[in-house]
Amino acid sequence: MHSRRSALFLLFVSLAVALFFLVYPLYVIRPFRHQGAQELHAALFVLHWQHVVELVCAAAALIALAVLRLRIRTTIVTALVLICAALSFVNIFEVMFHPAGAPAFQYVRDTKLDGDEKVLAVNARAYPIRSISYHHIVNDRIVNETGGGVPIAVTY
Amino acid sequence: MWGRSVGGVTLTFHLAGINNQNFLMRDAETGTYWQQISGRAISGPLAGKQLTLIPSDELTFALWKTEQPAGMVMKDVADFVDDYSAKDWDVKMKSEPTVLNFPEHGLANRDVMLGVTAFGESRAFPHARVLAEKLVADRVGSEEIILLVGPDNQSVRAFRAAIPGATSTGDIPLEFFRTPDGMMIDTQTGSHWNFKGCAIDGKSKGACLERIEAIKDYWFDWRQYHPGTTIYTGSGQRRHG
Repeated sequence: MHSRRSALFLLFVSLAVALFFLVYPLYVIRPFRHQGAQELHAALFVLHWQHVVELVCAAAALIALAVLRLRIRTTIVTALVLICAALSFVNIFEVMFHPAGAPAFQYVRDTKLDGDEKVLAVNARAYPIRSISYHHIVNDRIVNETGGGVPIAVTY
Repeated sequence: MWGRSVGGVTLTFHLAGINNQNFLMRDAETGTYWQQISGRAISGPLAGKQLTLIPSDELTFALWKTEQPAGMVMKDVADFVDDYSAKDWDVKMKSEPTVLNFPEHGLANRDVMLGVTAFGESRAFPHARVLAEKLVADRVGSEEIILLVGPDNQSVRAFRAAIPGATSTGDIPLEFFRTPDGMMIDTQTGSHWNFKGCAIDGKSKGACLERIEAIKDYWFDWRQYHPGTTIYTGSGQRRHG
């Protein structure tokens, strides 16, 4: 039937698009791979639209499934689209390197660090390299010389 | 270290990718992507904006403690302590492969450099050589600078080698020598200068040298982002990248 063919086509197109919009940025932006400027911008463009596109693909797949009825293969394909959509909301980098959250501090006298451990220091605050090299980013707030608060990002 | 305030908005950064061994950040407020090494927004609503660099020091804990005895140290995040790096992680990293290759001037990709971008020039100082020389007097761009190794024989700070407070054209470059106890003495004013770059006696007592940011980086990464960099190879020699 005409509508069956269209629905099948819609289902497979939504899978292809959902897979591309999930995998392409992960492929381009991954460690130990050199990214050229153009492909980085292409990957960021895909990322910018990723959530919207994934949700549209999920909706399209569900519509197609409704037309095609719940057969095993069509259900599996629809499930794959939904999985892609769900995964697109996961930040894999924050799964690998858990964010530090709001940092807590302790006085020097309460700190158990070897003397030769390295720290990244700004005025009276020190961030041990061994922890910031894991978290990569710490969003913090320091006080400058004139007493004003300065929001900072400690990066390593 | 970067300021998080851009146009009056305080941004919260999340890790968004690893790009050429540096990383990408995304702010939660606008979804803009920022490059960690340059502090520059490369994509999104704030594309083109630049974060403000906050000068910071990489020091040993022992040395920092002596300078900031009332200081505060970030606590480990309990759930992830097991994933933290070992003390000697930088030694282990030396043998990891890199994504880019710049086999120039006898430098290996993972040679640690101290990179200085100031006064119109980018210049890289091999970390091991600076630690060995203890006090490096050199020129970057239009200015004379010094790199001083701290009393812990590990931490390094860079300063402009000029009398503090004077303008560039009126400055007399100071000549420094390192004393056995890890301080410096200058020949013009006869003052002793500590690792903070401040004179504790003599004619310059109370004055502090202008700090210059020296970034610790792998050679291949520094060379990638500073293609015109020169390299320090010892007193009196200049080579181009």
